[in-house]
Amino acid sequence: MSVETRQSLPTFRMPAGFNGLLPALVLIVLFFVVPVLALLLRSVTEPEPGLQNYATLLGDGTYARVFFNTFLVASVVTIVTVLVAFPVAWMLAIMPSALASIVFGIIILSMWTNLLTRTYAWMVLLQRTGVINRTLMAIGVIDQPLPLINNLTGVTIGMVYIMLPFMILPLVGTLRAIDPMTLRAAALCGASPFQAFHRILLPLSLPGIAAGGLMVFVMSLGYFVTPALLGGTSNMMLAEMIAQMIQSLLNWGLGSAAAFILLVVTMALYALQLRLVGARRMSGGA
Amino acid sequence: MTQPFLSIRNLRKAFGAITAVHDVTLDIPKGEFLTFLGPSGSGKSTTLYAIAGFQDPSSGNVELEGKSLLAVPSHKRNIGMVFQRYTLFPHLTVAENVAFPLRVRRRPEAEVKKKVADMLALVRLESFAQRLPGALSGGQQQRVALARALAYDPPILLMDEPLSALDKKLREEIQGEIRRIHRETGVTILYVTHDQEEALHLSDRIALFKDGRIEQTGSGEDLYLRPATDFVAGFIGNSNFLAAEHLDTKDGTATIRLADGSVVSGVRANGAFGKGQKTRLMIRPEAFGMERSPTSAELNVDIVDVAFYGERRRIVAQTATGQEIDIRPTSTAMQSHDSTQCRQVYFDPAAAFLFPA
Repeated sequence: MSVETRQSLPTFRMPAGFNGLLPALVLIVLFFVVPVLALLLRSVTEPEPGLQNYATLLGDGTYARVFFNTFLVASVVTIVTVLVAFPVAWMLAIMPSALASIVFGIIILSMWTNLLTRTYAWMVLLQRTGVINRTLMAIGVIDQPLPLINNLTGVTIGMVYIMLPFMILPLVGTLRAIDPMTLRAAALCGASPFQAFHRILLPLSLPGIAAGGLMVFVMSLGYFVTPALLGGTSNMMLAEMIAQMIQSLLNWGLGSAAAFILLVVTMALYALQLRLVGARRMSGGA
Repeated sequence: MTQPFLSIRNLRKAFGAITAVHDVTLDIPKGEFLTFLGPSGSGKSTTLYAIAGFQDPSSGNVELEGKSLLAVPSHKRNIGMVFQRYTLFPHLTVAENVAFPLRVRRRPEAEVKKKVADMLALVRLESFAQRLPGALSGGQQQRVALARALAYDPPILLMDEPLSALDKKLREEIQGEIRRIHRETGVTILYVTHDQEEALHLSDRIALFKDGRIEQTGSGEDLYLRPATDFVAGFIGNSNFLAAEHLDTKDGTATIRLADGSVVSGVRANGAFGKGQKTRLMIRPEAFGMERSPTSAELNVDIVDVAFYGERRRIVAQTATGQEIDIRPTSTAMQSHDSTQCRQVYFDPAAAFLFPA
């Protein structure tokens, strides 16, 4: 295109098709931006203007414990999910594609099953007189029922189960992009199976682990149903606390502040991941 | 041949009902450049993979200096390999890729540095040391793969169609590099290709595979000038096959009658034939001449088309029975105004081979 034609255009124009985007933009502003701003506003105006809600949340030991707990559960869930998902994803990546689609179907089907149903199912399995404890006692592995529910163990088991698909799906994508010949080459270069894993396969699958891991971590931070049903009173998570503040105590200001802190932390983590993975991609070439 | 360095003994590999390699036995002396040549599915790659340890043979053995390799896992075989696809580690720089085999062997840092520099110099990619594989061309990537495969001084280098993904010009350039590296390092190379020109250009010896068996092993010259079977004759170079009736054989030279009734004596017989047996006479396109000589046999043809190819002309001609044959005399042997007419072409019977029909 010549310079003259470009100069003949008006100095400023809306990008082409902008008018078509307008409804979507209105929708986003109305239902996403406005509520978040309202949340922020509430947290600094109720019961009176000021930052006292944030001071209470960040200064009080009880609330600090809830924050700590939330991060602990989310971290443990993320780590366990990665450890369980990796072998499954690898299997799916190298499996014949017909078989892999069947396994994928099973995984997706579990995602579509009602969350509450699945969590109650875990309650049946994990409780003192549940299937797992009874079986283990019947075959003589244990004398006393194991404390599998109303504690960190219960929450971890229940949440890892729910989070697995969110880890497996991005990881399979990353692993499928790795040429299996690369691993054969590593073997012929003298790398033992362990060396090939930690020097080649693991670094190459990091983008998938990071993407899935962040998704799982962020979802875990705000999770409500599973911790409420499978967790104990001593390790309450942030979502439970917010629900309590708003439903039982009607303290909208404190609840909003807690929710806003969660949002900020989540966004900070997302930004960090974008930076790390983005930088990696650029230096990784592929 | 001295005591075999690498020895393949009665190798057989079956995948379910399909047998990829039937019975391959081959001795390879140290320092040789041996090529497995053959069409796809002829068992050449399977044989190579058995040496690399990627596939366990159904039976038979692979021995290096008298010791069987079969029980040794791939990563302990100490064999170098360059693959058909690019298999550089995409997250490591060129230098780190070449250093990889040394690092997993926990060699001291100073030695790794020196070896990486030597190897990159060998493949002439010194200035690319800090690049990532994704930033290199296909040819450069395969040269890095070559440097990585040679970094730990393996006694054997396996190459599985390493140039098949490259264009023709680059292929020829890297063929030259491979020859030079073979000369400079003296490493024993087993090279797999389906490209006969590549095999002829690179190898000391060629093992020609067909249907899981070795059809013939020998130098490129042996295979071209002294093909053991009609398959070898057809696969290496171009060839014309004329139907012929065998009349008599004496001292390895046969007398035959061609389909047009002419009798030719002095052709090379590959095998024993009975009187009157149907046979096929193989003549290379360039073995035909346009001038009579005292020993030559003649063939009546109709010239259908003449094309000029620089050093040679390519003539499509038709025999009296209507079979099209390919004739490639040197350009100076025939003037262009000779074209499109009925005439005789001549061939030396000693350069014609008789095979069973």
